[in-house]
Amino acid sequence: MVQAKLILESLKQLKVTHVLTVPDNGSRALLDLLWSDREIQVVSVTREGEAFAIAAGLWVGGKIPVILIQNTGLLESGDALRGTVLRMRVPLLCLITCRGYAKFSALKASIAPGAADAELLSRPDLDSIALLTEPTLRAWSIPFELLESDADTCKIADAFRKAQTLEQPVALLLTSSTT
Amino acid sequence: MLTKHELLEPLARLRNDQVVVTTMATVRPWTRYSEHALDFASADSAMGHAADFALGIALARPERKVICLNGDGSMLMSLGTLVTIMSSGAKNFILFVVQNDSYEITGNQPIPGTGFVDFRAMAKAAGFLRVYAFDDPRDYGSALPGILAGDGAVFVTVKVEPGSEGPLCRRPEESAHYLRYSLAESVRRVQRALRNSA
Repeated sequence: MVQAKLILESLKQLKVTHVLTVPDNGSRALLDLLWSDREIQVVSVTREGEAFAIAAGLWVGGKIPVILIQNTGLLESGDALRGTVLRMRVPLLCLITCRGYAKFSALKASIAPGAADAELLSRPDLDSIALLTEPTLRAWSIPFELLESDADTCKIADAFRKAQTLEQPVALLLTSSTT
Repeated sequence: MLTKHELLEPLARLRNDQVVVTTMATVRPWTRYSEHALDFASADSAMGHAADFALGIALARPERKVICLNGDGSMLMSLGTLVTIMSSGAKNFILFVVQNDSYEITGNQPIPGTGFVDFRAMAKAAGFLRVYAFDDPRDYGSALPGILAGDGAVFVTVKVEPGSEGPLCRRPEESAHYLRYSLAESVRRVQRALRNSA
């Protein structure tokens, strides 16, 4: 688990101006902090694809947006992500909370890459979104790292800088809920 | 019902330093009246995401108005954006829906809801307080200065004759000035123009 206050501190150090989000249980603690802190503006959107288009516009206008969505929303975002921030080459840090990773992590080593067939995707003991998150990011050429503990919060600044250098989105996967 | 000329010519004439985001069937026609550094074509991008992209610019630059000329099919694709606009508190955003009742650039196939869809009612239901609907060029022309002058998020739906705009692409030989650059270069040009005019 990662403490939300450490993530918030990192975002402030990076001078992030806006967080675009559809809330979920994994981001709840971080959003509670963001809303009470008020230094960074939170923009709630109606679907995750909107978040990427608004982030692109904010960046054009000189702001520093960050995306905070669940991995299900990442898949929802498909064409918006492709047609805005990827095609526009917008440097963008994406914090992706990951549903289904607790069960997935235990089996990850035994699942061959690319083996997410219909049999696996329909297994009741697995959440299919966890199987599809990392392959989807690879398919979209979005670099990513896992954010699993407080010690990993240094990856936030690294991912941010990588996004600036590459001029594209870079993702951090929060594999458990923020606390 | 208005022609595209009746829609766009007065808007270009009254426009000064606003950002203008076009998409779909207004992308090329707009350039007959405007060649401004703050024009941006949401083309070769993602359908349904012109209005939210424009909202992002408006939120970043509250001192400057942003006008989006959205398509009706594009609006239907992202109706939630109407709510997001109002929820965001943007006071410098003017959203047009150019209602030609068709997907013009793919061959004028009818949009869902042709004949009964009511964009004005949807905007009101989403919380817009300043909502306008026009199907007469004289009414539109006389109201336009006030629409552009006031504060608050503004929603304007205009019934426009379907045309014959073809598919959009970006290439150096394009007659439309903002289609001569890649999408990545286009956003950087607008970014620079905003920075230089701050």
